[in-house]
Amino acid sequence: MFPSPLHRILTAPAAVLSLLVLTSCSAPGEQAGAGESGTGPIKVANVNAQSGQLSSLGKWENKGVKLAIDEVNKSGGINGRQVQLDLFDDQGDPTVGTNLGRKIADGGYVAMLGTAESAVTLAMAPILKDAKIPNITSGQSPKLAGLKSPFLFLNAPTSVTYDETLAKYLVETKGLKKIALISNNGTYGTGEHDAFLASLKTRGVTPLADEVVTPDQKDFSAALTGIRDKEPEVLFIGAEEVESGLIAKQARELGVKAVLAGGAPMGTEPYLTTAGQDATEGAVVSSPYLTNDATEATRAFAAAYKTAYGEEAEVHGAKAYDGARILVEALKATGGAGGQKLADAIRATKYAGLLGDFAYDESGVGIHATQIAVIKSGELVPETAS
Amino acid sequence: MRAFLQTLIGGIGFGAVYALVAMGFSIVYRTMGLVNFAHGSVVMIGAYAASTFSMTVALPFPVAIVIAIVVTGLIGLVIERVLRPLEGRDFDLMLIGTIGFGTVLEALAILIWGATGHAVPSPVGSAPLDVFGVRVRAYSLVVIAVAAGATVLLALFLRRTKLGAAMQAVAMDPQAATAVGVHVGRSNAMAFAIGAGLAALAGGLIGPMLYVSPVMGGSLGIKGFAAAIFGGFGSIPGAIVGGMAFGILDSFAAGTFQGYSELVVFLVFTVAIMILPTGIFGERTVNRA
Repeated sequence: MFPSPLHRILTAPAAVLSLLVLTSCSAPGEQAGAGESGTGPIKVANVNAQSGQLSSLGKWENKGVKLAIDEVNKSGGINGRQVQLDLFDDQGDPTVGTNLGRKIADGGYVAMLGTAESAVTLAMAPILKDAKIPNITSGQSPKLAGLKSPFLFLNAPTSVTYDETLAKYLVETKGLKKIALISNNGTYGTGEHDAFLASLKTRGVTPLADEVVTPDQKDFSAALTGIRDKEPEVLFIGAEEVESGLIAKQARELGVKAVLAGGAPMGTEPYLTTAGQDATEGAVVSSPYLTNDATEATRAFAAAYKTAYGEEAEVHGAKAYDGARILVEALKATGGAGGQKLADAIRATKYAGLLGDFAYDESGVGIHATQIAVIKSGELVPETAS
Repeated sequence: MRAFLQTLIGGIGFGAVYALVAMGFSIVYRTMGLVNFAHGSVVMIGAYAASTFSMTVALPFPVAIVIAIVVTGLIGLVIERVLRPLEGRDFDLMLIGTIGFGTVLEALAILIWGATGHAVPSPVGSAPLDVFGVRVRAYSLVVIAVAAGATVLLALFLRRTKLGAAMQAVAMDPQAATAVGVHVGRSNAMAFAIGAGLAALAGGLIGPMLYVSPVMGGSLGIKGFAAAIFGGFGSIPGAIVGGMAFGILDSFAAGTFQGYSELVVFLVFTVAIMILPTGIFGERTVNRA
């Protein structure tokens, strides 16, 4: 009935689909237990969104992790054993995350790197804790530290640190007290909102406005008009990269003249290009990783990143790289063994990374400082002596 | 009052784009009785095509949009051609086919442009106009004008041309249309191509207002679809009214209900649909399977 060329067209999308499905669920189950046996590759899982709304974060994180692991493998691996890095796509979805958690627990993995989304990591934490699989996450919600799981570690400071540093700079160093907030009600935005508000409160500052938007919102006219009429000196934005950029752009279009301030998303390329250079000029950013030019180590990292992927390195890749390097140090200490021994080794690891000097406390936070930068002509310029 | 007007202006700017997306849904639905679930992804492809041609190849923005319309129009033709054997036979499979195409287009976009997406600089450089303290983006005016122009052209095409009349005939009664010599398949292909072209226009226009990424089609598609239903599915004036209503509702809900705005918008939508099941301009001419 159907002419054959048509058949080919019909089956082509199906073939693409099935290929995608195949690549995204290979690996788990095969060679189960190889990681424990002391021979063969050491299996490490990297869980990050490769599709869906948060896939850009997931791709950056994976690039950082892969760079670190490739370097280790090239220099001979750990005690002569190669590290096998398997990538799992959590789609930024906690439910998918818990399923992957069980797969990883059954698949003979000694450790997990990721995810970039706090909500997913929170959902996976109990499973990984039961399976005694250490997890170095890229999430930065204070709730992660609040779990106090002995198997959960963060590769960056929590929102509390970001916003404490930011509030201190704005209120104490700059003397700016007329502050307005706009944040989204997702996990990240809520964490930022709560942390910044708490930091303001300890300094006796009450915000002029406290607007909440949804993570998917596109038009911020109503919230920003309200903020403009209160004439704040500072507008704090607590949202992911692109949404922060849209808020900044629309704020300027509506005539909001306040200094913009926020966390790590405001130092990234998607934020800067979405908002446009005029809108971002003079914005204050709190981040543990300001530029690729900060130190010898960051320059080397940025160069290697550029060679491997043909694009500029940024904060997410850097912190994922740090997390992977810390895991490698710990694996070297245990000789490739996992479980409680590996968790203890990670906690004992003192590592001078791209983000600063890591030393883990019992809540799994390894780094407790961020720096302040001001955006000038689209570049992050570090503010010294904050 | 100023805040009210500012919110209204913001809502209309996005409402014009929702209206274009809704029109694309409606033109396919009124002709074929089919909901094209790949439509949101076609909007995304249109946004990518327009922004790539204007940023990388450095073509003027209007030219880039025209090329994007042609490219996505071709994609529309391909989708229709693949689904044609199912026309009049298995309606559910056709629906699922469009969903599959949506996923394939998203995966293709990730393969071609990567997952991170890119921002598009506004083609209209001038500062926002200040009308009695209400800021009006110059670019929003362009978007509204283009959307209005596209609507008029589409209406003229459907009313005044032979091809348009043929499409209307197919919409009303495909068997009778075939009997008087109208090629149903060609008419459907036309509807798909026009729908995809409208999607590209919407995508190209919204690029500079948002951020172009492989997943941008999701929420635009859902809002455009809801707008089409709200206005009366299959109706072109309905798509315009529905799109505008959705944009404005969205904008005001965001101001009043903050974090719960999405919930409120779709609750209002649900209630409206319960009261007016066929939408504002509900014509029930289309019911084919």
